[in-house]
Amino acid sequence: MAAVTKTDKMICPSCRVQMNHHCDKLVYTTDPQDAGQADPSLSGFIEELHTCPVCGGGASRHA
Amino acid sequence: MDTSQSLFIPVILGTARMGRMSLHAARLVTGELSKCAGVETDLIDIANLPLPTNDAGEAIKQADFSAKMSKADALVVVSPEYNHGYSGLLKHVLDSCLKEYIHKAVGIVGVSAGPFGGTRVIQNLLPVMRELGLVTIFWDVNFSSVQKVFTEDGRLLDESYIRRIDKFLKELIWMAKTLRQGRARVSLD
Repeated sequence: MAAVTKTDKMICPSCRVQMNHHCDKLVYTTDPQDAGQADPSLSGFIEELHTCPVCGGGASRHA
Repeated sequence: MDTSQSLFIPVILGTARMGRMSLHAARLVTGELSKCAGVETDLIDIANLPLPTNDAGEAIKQADFSAKMSKADALVVVSPEYNHGYSGLLKHVLDSCLKEYIHKAVGIVGVSAGPFGGTRVIQNLLPVMRELGLVTIFWDVNFSSVQKVFTEDGRLLDESYIRRIDKFLKELIWMAKTLRQGRARVSLD
């Protein structure tokens, strides 16, 4: 399964504004729960990091 | 994001060994950080973190440490050099988080009883920091022959360290401010 960056913006739960997607981090995992989400070509999965431009709070999700 | 909001830059003391002289170095750096305008700090002693040792990584994430790493804009890691490396407990603690560190600055303070000031432990920590998503700065602080730098009760005997710490912290704060803006405003897309 290829890891594709999601295009929908994350919304800050505190400020209700769109968060800034600033990082795709390749995560290597041995957790069985993540096994199905691993991209074979990357040997892991992509975790997207998002930060609120208002409060600076962070959030993340699997790509 | 409001640029007037204080930066949070905690100092992680990376050893639990009894009689550790790194405690004095960590307290000194924390004290200098607390004098910086617009900066909040906290000394995190890994000896006080209740992490289990029968598992590792994010499975043993500790809520308070995770929250501090999430809040942090940058980190200072103070590490002694044990056989050219860092303590196993420091790695265990650092590995308990990941996304909390991404695109945040880190500066490393090396401590040794010998003449090299922890340069080898700093070199060994750099690839770890990189993989954790932290952004390393090019200033370090090296406490060589640390037993001669502080008295047993932690009083600094060599004031020249203050100037070096000042340079180190100025670079770290610049990087922390820049990365805070980057996280909030510069899109990957």
